[in-house]
Amino acid sequence: MKAVPMSAERVSLMGIFGSESQTAATIRDLRASDYTLERVHSPIPSHVIADALDLPKSKVGWFTLAGGIIGFFSGFALAAFTAARWSMIVGGKPVVALIPFFIVGFEFTILFAIFGNVLGLISQARLPRFRVYKRYDPRFTGHKFGVLVSCETAKKNDLYRLFEAKGAEINVYDNP
Amino acid sequence: MSTTTHSKTLEGLGQDKTTDARTAPSQRARWPLAPGLALLFVAVGAATFIFQVAAGDPARAWQAYLISFLLFSAIAHGAVLFATLMHMVRARWSGPLADLAEAFTAFFPISFVLFLLLYAGRSYLFLWSGTDLHGKEVWLNVSFLFARDGIGLLILYSLGFAYLYHALWFKLSSRGASGMTGRWLLRRWQKRPPDAERYQSRKTVLSGLYMLAFAIVLSLLGYDLVMSMDPHWYSTLFGAYSFVKAIYVGFGALIILAAVLHLSRATAFRLKSSQFHDIGKLFFAFGLVWADFFYAQLVVIWYGNISEETAYVIERTMTAPWNRLAWTVFIGCFIAPFLILINKRIKTIPAAMIVICGLVIAGMWLEHLLLLGPVYHTHVPAVPLSWADGMIALGFLGLLIGAVFVYLRQFPEILNVLPEENR
Amino acid sequence: MSQLLTYESIDNTVLDTLRPPGRQYWLTVALLFGGVLIGAACWLYQILTGIGVGGQNNPVHWGTYLINFVFWVGIAHSGTLISAILHLFRAGWRNPIARAAETMTVFAVCTAGLYPFIHLGRVWMVYYMLPLPNQRTLWPNFQSPLMFDVVAIGTYLTVSSLFWYTGMLPDLATIRDRSQGVRRKIFGVLSMGWTGEFEQWRHYTRGYLFFAALATPLVISVHSVVSWDFALSVIPGWHTTIFAPYFVAGAIHSGLAMVLTLMIPLRKIFHYENIITIRVLESVAKTIVFTGLIVGFAYGTEVFIAWYSHNIVEMETFRWRALGDYALEYWIMVTCNTLIPLLFLFSKIRTHLRWLFIISIFVNIGMWYERFVIIIGSVAHDFLPHAWGLYRPTLIEFGIMLGSFCLFFFLFVLFVKHMPSVAMTEIKETLHEGGAHVG
Repeated sequence: MKAVPMSAERVSLMGIFGSESQTAATIRDLRASDYTLERVHSPIPSHVIADALDLPKSKVGWFTLAGGIIGFFSGFALAAFTAARWSMIVGGKPVVALIPFFIVGFEFTILFAIFGNVLGLISQARLPRFRVYKRYDPRFTGHKFGVLVSCETAKKNDLYRLFEAKGAEINVYDNP
Repeated sequence: MSTTTHSKTLEGLGQDKTTDARTAPSQRARWPLAPGLALLFVAVGAATFIFQVAAGDPARAWQAYLISFLLFSAIAHGAVLFATLMHMVRARWSGPLADLAEAFTAFFPISFVLFLLLYAGRSYLFLWSGTDLHGKEVWLNVSFLFARDGIGLLILYSLGFAYLYHALWFKLSSRGASGMTGRWLLRRWQKRPPDAERYQSRKTVLSGLYMLAFAIVLSLLGYDLVMSMDPHWYSTLFGAYSFVKAIYVGFGALIILAAVLHLSRATAFRLKSSQFHDIGKLFFAFGLVWADFFYAQLVVIWYGNISEETAYVIERTMTAPWNRLAWTVFIGCFIAPFLILINKRIKTIPAAMIVICGLVIAGMWLEHLLLLGPVYHTHVPAVPLSWADGMIALGFLGLLIGAVFVYLRQFPEILNVLPEENR
Repeated sequence: MSQLLTYESIDNTVLDTLRPPGRQYWLTVALLFGGVLIGAACWLYQILTGIGVGGQNNPVHWGTYLINFVFWVGIAHSGTLISAILHLFRAGWRNPIARAAETMTVFAVCTAGLYPFIHLGRVWMVYYMLPLPNQRTLWPNFQSPLMFDVVAIGTYLTVSSLFWYTGMLPDLATIRDRSQGVRRKIFGVLSMGWTGEFEQWRHYTRGYLFFAALATPLVISVHSVVSWDFALSVIPGWHTTIFAPYFVAGAIHSGLAMVLTLMIPLRKIFHYENIITIRVLESVAKTIVFTGLIVGFAYGTEVFIAWYSHNIVEMETFRWRALGDYALEYWIMVTCNTLIPLLFLFSKIRTHLRWLFIISIFVNIGMWYERFVIIIGSVAHDFLPHAWGLYRPTLIEFGIMLGSFCLFFFLFVLFVKHMPSVAMTEIKETLHEGGAHVG
C-alpha cells in the first residue's frame, strides 16, 4: 500500500464488502494489476486478508525484545545496587544474592518487555490518530470490509467493473 | 464418526487393505537401520552391564542401570501422555503426532521387566536398607517399595494399554492393518463390532485415568527411587518435579521420532511445518515448567537455610565436583534450549530439533546422575562418569528404539496420515 | 435453540447492553457502594485507632488481610489464564468470556493491592516499600519476599491493565462508530483513532501475541511469588517446596469459579446466551475439575511428606490441621475444593446452570478457607507449644472484607454497563463465513 502523489487526474474508489473471502479475492486481483491499493479496512484481523496482502512482518517484536533485555539487567542492577549500599548481612544471606534477585530481574524483564511492546505497538501502528479520515465508513468496525484503491481517471470504469464483479458496494471519490 | 461408516470399512477389510500392504514389500525391506542399530546398542549395553556386574564394579553398573531405567521409562510415560492429553482436550492439530506417541507404549512391558530386575541390584542401590531410619522403615523397606511401585507401574501400564486398545480401533478400522497384531485385533472386532460412541467415551475416560495415574505413579517413583535414596532429605515438590521431567523428555523423544520419520525416505510420514512448530512450542514450554519447578525447590531451600534440607542442595550445586555437573545440566537442559528455541524458525527444522531434543535428553540423564550420584559416591574428586555408564545407557536406548520399531512394524498404517481423519 | 450469529447481531447484542440503565441497576450500584463505604469506614477507624483493632496478634500476626490478599490475587490469575494462556493454545471457547475475565483480573488485582496498605496500619509509611532515592541512602530490602510482592503485583497490575485496554481498542472503536454526541467523543478518545486498517491490524496482532506470551509466565511467577511469602519462611506448614505450583493451581481454581459466578448472571441479564453458550461454561467446569485434582494432589502430597519426614513438628502441624481447633475449616477446604468439583465429571451437572453456579460458590468458599487453613493454621501452631494460640477475626476485619468484596463487584457492575463486556472482535473472529454457532 503505497502513497501516490495526488493529482487532479486520479480518483479513488472504495469498495465495501460483506465477506472476508470476497475482500481477499479482490485484493489478490488488485495486487496483480497496476492499480494502487491505498488502504484495507476490516473489523477483524482476518488471516485470509493478511495472506492476500502478504505484508512484511511487524517490527513490534524488536521493541519487546529490547525492553525485555533492558528489564532483565535493570532488575538485577536495582536489587544489587540497593543491597550493596550497606555491607550488612541480613537474614544470613549474602549481600548480593543472585538466587532471590533473579525474581526481581524476572519481573522487571516482563514489565519492561511489555512497555517495549506497547511502545512498539503505538509507534508502528501510529496510534493515537486523531485526524479523521475523509474516506471512512463507520461500518468498518462493525461488519463491513473496505478496500480503497486509487487510479487514473481514465481507468475508473475498469476499476468500477472489477469491484462490481466481486459484489462490492462502491463509493467514488473524485478528489483523491 | 458414525457406527455405520465403521462397519462398512470393516466389511471391506478382508480383501483390500491387507493386499495393499502385501504388495508394498519394499517398504519393509527399506528399514534396515533401526532394528540393526537397536540390536547393536542392546548387545553393547547388556555386555557392558554383565561384565561390570560380574568382573568390574557392580555398584556402578547397577547405578547406571537405575539412572537409565528412570530416564527411558520417563520418556515412554511422557510421550504416551501427549497422546492422552491431546485426546482429552480434543486438539485438532496433533493427530499424526498423537498416533506416533502411542508407539511408546511398546516400551511399557520392557520397562516393567527392567523394573523387576532392579530387585537383583537392591543391595547396591538401596543404601538405607538395614540402617536405622527412626521409624521410617515401615515405608522404606525394599519389599514394600517394590510391591507398591510394581503395582503402580502395573496400573499405569494397564491404563496405557487399555487406552491404546480403544485408540487403535478408530485407526485400524478406517486404515486397515497389515501387521500380525493389527489383523488379530481387526478379526476380534469383526466378531463383535464395537459401538463408536461407547469406545470414544471410554477412550476419554481412560485418557483421564492414565493422566491421573501418571501424576501419582511417577511422583511415587520419584520419591521412592530418587528422593529417598537419601532417606533424610525431602521436598514436597519432588514428585511433581519428577513427572514434569518425564513430560519434558517424553515430548522431546516424540519430536525426535517424528523428525526422524519425517526426514526418512523409507516412510510416507510427513508433518506440516506448523505441526513441528506447535510441538516445538510445547517442548519449549515444558522446559520452562521444568526449570520453574527446579527453581521453586532451590529458592525455598536456599532461603530457609535449614541444614536438614540444604546439605542435599549444597553438595549437588555448590561443592566440587558436582557443581560442575549441575551447571552442565542447567545449561544443557534449560539455558541453551531456552535461548535457541525462542526463535520460531528453528522449531520447524526437523534436523535441528533432533539435535536440541537429543541434547536435552542427554542432559536429563546427567541430571539423574546429579541427583543420585552423591548418594553413592561420597567425597569423590571427579564426577564418576565413565564409558561403561554410557554403554549401559546405550543399551536402554536400544531397547526403546527396538520397542518403537516393533510397534511401527506391527501398525505401519500409523505412518499413513489420512487427511480426512478428524479427531 | 440458539440463533445464527452474524457480525451485526454480535454488535447489536453488545451495544444493547450499553443502553442507559434502569432503576434496578442503580439500586445495585448504590447497595454495593454502600458496602464499599462500610469497608472504608472500618479502615478509617483502624487508621485512627491502630492496627490492633484487627484480630491479629501474637502468635497469629497474619489474619484475614493476608487471606483476602491472596484470595483476590488468586482470582485475578484465571482471568489472565483465559485471555492470555488460552489465546496461545488457540482454544476457541475462551473468546466469549475473555473480556469479562480480563476485567475481573484488573479489578481483582486492584482489590488485592489494597490489602498490603490496609495491613500496614500506618498507611502513610507505604513509601518505605518503594525504591525512592533519599538522603540516608536507605533502600527496600529486595531480598525480602514482601518486596518480591511489591515488584510482582505492581508488574501484574500494570501488565494486566495494558493488556485489558489494548484488547478493548477495536471494540471501543466499534462503539464510537455507532454512537453520537458526548459518548462518541469519549469513545473517540478512548479508541485512539482506531480505524481497522490492516496496517494497524498487523502490528496489533503481533503486539497482542506478545502480550499473551509475556502474560503467561507472569501469571505463574506472580502467584509463585505470593506463595513464597509463606514458603520462604521456616514455619512448618509454610516452608515447603510445593507451594509455588500449588498456589498457582489453586489461584486458577478459584478464579475459574469466580468466572462462573460472574458469567452466569451476566449472560442472563444481558441476553448473551448465544455468545456465552453452555459449551463455554462447560469447558470452564471441566478445567475446574482438573485444577481441583491438582489442589487435591497437593493436599495429599503435603500430608504424606509430613509423615515421611518424621519431623515431629511437621507431623504435629498436619495432625492439628485435620483434627485440631481449626479442623472444621480444614474439612470445608478439602470438600469444597476437591470433592465437590468432581461433580462436574457428570455432564448433566456441568451443563445445568443452577449447579454450575452453586458449585462455583462452593469452590470460592473452599478456596477462601484454604488460605485460612494455610495462613492461620500454620502460624497458630508452630514450633513452641508454649507459643501456640488461636485467632478470630474482629468486626472491623469483617467490615473491611465486606468492603473489598463490594468494591470488586461495584467496579465490575460499573464496567459491564458502560464498556463492552464481550469482545466483539474476538467473537467475530471465531465465526465462519455467513455466521455460525459459537463454542
